[in-house]
Amino acid sequence: MTLDLAFDLVVFLFLGSSVLSLVRVIMGPTSADRLIGLNIVAAQILAILVLVAVKEGLHVYLDVALVYDIFGFVGLLAITRFFGKKGDL
Amino acid sequence: MTETLLTLHIVLALLVLFSRNLLTAVIFLAVYSLFSSLLFFILHAPDVALTEAAIGAGISTFLYVWVIRKTRDGVAS
Repeated sequence: MTLDLAFDLVVFLFLGSSVLSLVRVIMGPTSADRLIGLNIVAAQILAILVLVAVKEGLHVYLDVALVYDIFGFVGLLAITRFFGKKGDL
Repeated sequence: MTETLLTLHIVLALLVLFSRNLLTAVIFLAVYSLFSSLLFFILHAPDVALTEAAIGAGISTFLYVWVIRKTRDGVAS
């Protein structure tokens, strides 16, 4: 009972924190600020995924967090690779 | 929680549509895909969330950035 309440509270706190971090993604002056904001939001959403997986207690739910971590890193690496050649795309 | 995620979906989709810089649009699309994956996850569809996380966040971002880079180097510039 108390543990469920704590899980819900932490998930809502992470969601609110990621919405606040979304401000930097939306109104960042340069593309580098938006990239850093994307990184922060992705880390917080990953924490939400792992928390919900632990709360539900199913192994399939944890695979989503793993796959998002790998492929999100690949996408971020692609953006930085093509972004760093000329300064801006 | 679902209502918050759906509102974020609308806001992010409008940002993707109306942003002038192409790299900014791709980053917004990556954030949109991330929140879409979380929405599928919250609604108890982990396989759809898995596919969205793999295709939408990884492959799609990589492909869009690659194609933008190729077209900027080629005909457009």
